[in-house]
Amino acid sequence: MTTRSPILGRFRYGYVAPAALLVAGLLYAPFVWTAYLSLTRYDGLAPPEWAGLANFGKLFDDPALLTSLRNTLLWVVGTMVLPVGLGLLVAVLSHDIKGGAWYRVPFMLPYALSGAGLALVWSPILSHGGIANVLLGVDTAFLQSAPVNTLAMLLVWTWQQLGVNTLLFVVGLQSIPKEPIEAARLDGASGWRLFRHITWPLMRPLTAVVVGLALVASLKTFDIVWVLTQGGPGRNSETLAVTMYKETFVASDYGYGSAVAVMLTVVTGLASYLYLKRQVAS
Amino acid sequence: MIRRAVLVVLGLVWLYPTYLLLVNAARPAASYDPATAWAPSGDFALFANFAAALDKADLGASLASTALYSVVSPLLGVVIGAMAGYTIVVLRLRHGFWWFLLIFGGTVFPSQMLLVPLFVGYSDAGLYDTRAGMLLVYTAVNVPLAAFVLRNFYSGVAFSIFEAARMDGASTFRIFWRVYLPISTSALAAVFILEFTFIWNDLLFGLTLTTTESVRPVMTALAGLMTDVYAGTPVPVGLAAGLMCSLPTVLLFLATQRLFARGLSLGSV
Repeated sequence: MTTRSPILGRFRYGYVAPAALLVAGLLYAPFVWTAYLSLTRYDGLAPPEWAGLANFGKLFDDPALLTSLRNTLLWVVGTMVLPVGLGLLVAVLSHDIKGGAWYRVPFMLPYALSGAGLALVWSPILSHGGIANVLLGVDTAFLQSAPVNTLAMLLVWTWQQLGVNTLLFVVGLQSIPKEPIEAARLDGASGWRLFRHITWPLMRPLTAVVVGLALVASLKTFDIVWVLTQGGPGRNSETLAVTMYKETFVASDYGYGSAVAVMLTVVTGLASYLYLKRQVAS
Repeated sequence: MIRRAVLVVLGLVWLYPTYLLLVNAARPAASYDPATAWAPSGDFALFANFAAALDKADLGASLASTALYSVVSPLLGVVIGAMAGYTIVVLRLRHGFWWFLLIFGGTVFPSQMLLVPLFVGYSDAGLYDTRAGMLLVYTAVNVPLAAFVLRNFYSGVAFSIFEAARMDGASTFRIFWRVYLPISTSALAAVFILEFTFIWNDLLFGLTLTTTESVRPVMTALAGLMTDVYAGTPVPVGLAAGLMCSLPTVLLFLATQRLFARGLSLGSV
């Protein structure tokens, strides 16, 4: 390797500098600063005051945070069962039948809506006295009491996400080798057993990616909750990401908000680590 | 047969909200009533509702700003990221792998870890609620992915291309600009599309770093509209607004589907 040969030019650091400076200045520095602020009392006006672990102590006996953790967990589990699990089901049912792509069209359409737009269009359906109440003939206020409101939002999320998960699984199913499946068929395996023992193990790598992405995204659920309920009523539909935002920018408790952000980071990091470890181990 | 039946039933369940959304977005704004929302209206008012959304909620200004952010930031981001990838791989920057880790590591932080310092720092620096500030933060969040994809892409390009151009007397920057950037168009485009979509759909940075309607990105403006879907904005106008603001990402995706698939597979070389 001719690392120092003049052919490579002398301006190399100049080319990497813009990227490094942007990332350092707008991603790393704020990250470190937030970690520091989580150890202070800070309202955004007076300079931050050192508070040690006080904010983290508060985390553990804050009932709102407990609710927020519970809702976040509900989002994670719900995402695995509904958009991911149901997506797998639709993919398995439709990937090898004639015209399978046509059966999947209804699931792809909602993907056209995104983020705030998705929540916005569901609000007249879910609101009290809204379309869902009329159509189902019930008077439930879907966005009011917990955990019904979180479940209702999970269904909206499922409505939007199912298609893309299905598509990823279909790509995976179509790219697995045909021979083992044919061989198992000849041996008399079919239906559930064929899927459980042959197809499923073959599509493991892809499933790992889809589940991993969904896991991290669901831990950070914010947009849909913010737009549909703002974490309310009261604070009963907050997720960790919503709690962080409200503590910081609504309650102006920047120190505590930072502690929630740190916690969210730790939870996300830990979940990803454990998940990756399990994937690598098996 | 059972499989088809399950798919059809589930598909119909999925189509129903889509139908409700379209029917009510096309209904004249004044004639919305939850009790009859399932029935299509005789009058087609979708475009009137689009116009009302642009006009009433001042979405026009937000849309213009968002278009600026989601085109300019990814463009800057991919070029800056590509330049870093080029330096690391082709110019064999010393400790290149660590530089790469430093830049790519920027993607691991949840946005929540950035909000407070960005808000306070932006306020101090006069960047709060400015288009320049939004462009800056969006560009920064784009860089790691661009550097990642382009570094991978350039690893697969023969070094002899670089050597030949160097022998001909071209400067390293000229080679980057005239040779490496053009050959990586498909990878650049794939990153661009992902980042365009990310920025177009961003709510959180817009919520935290802006306040005026003309600077606010469109998803944040939509979220603001939400609080008065019932106390002002008629439901059909709200629905039309949601549809209209989602349209650009869909159109971009449909228009570039093929390029997108190609770019992704190239990027993973």
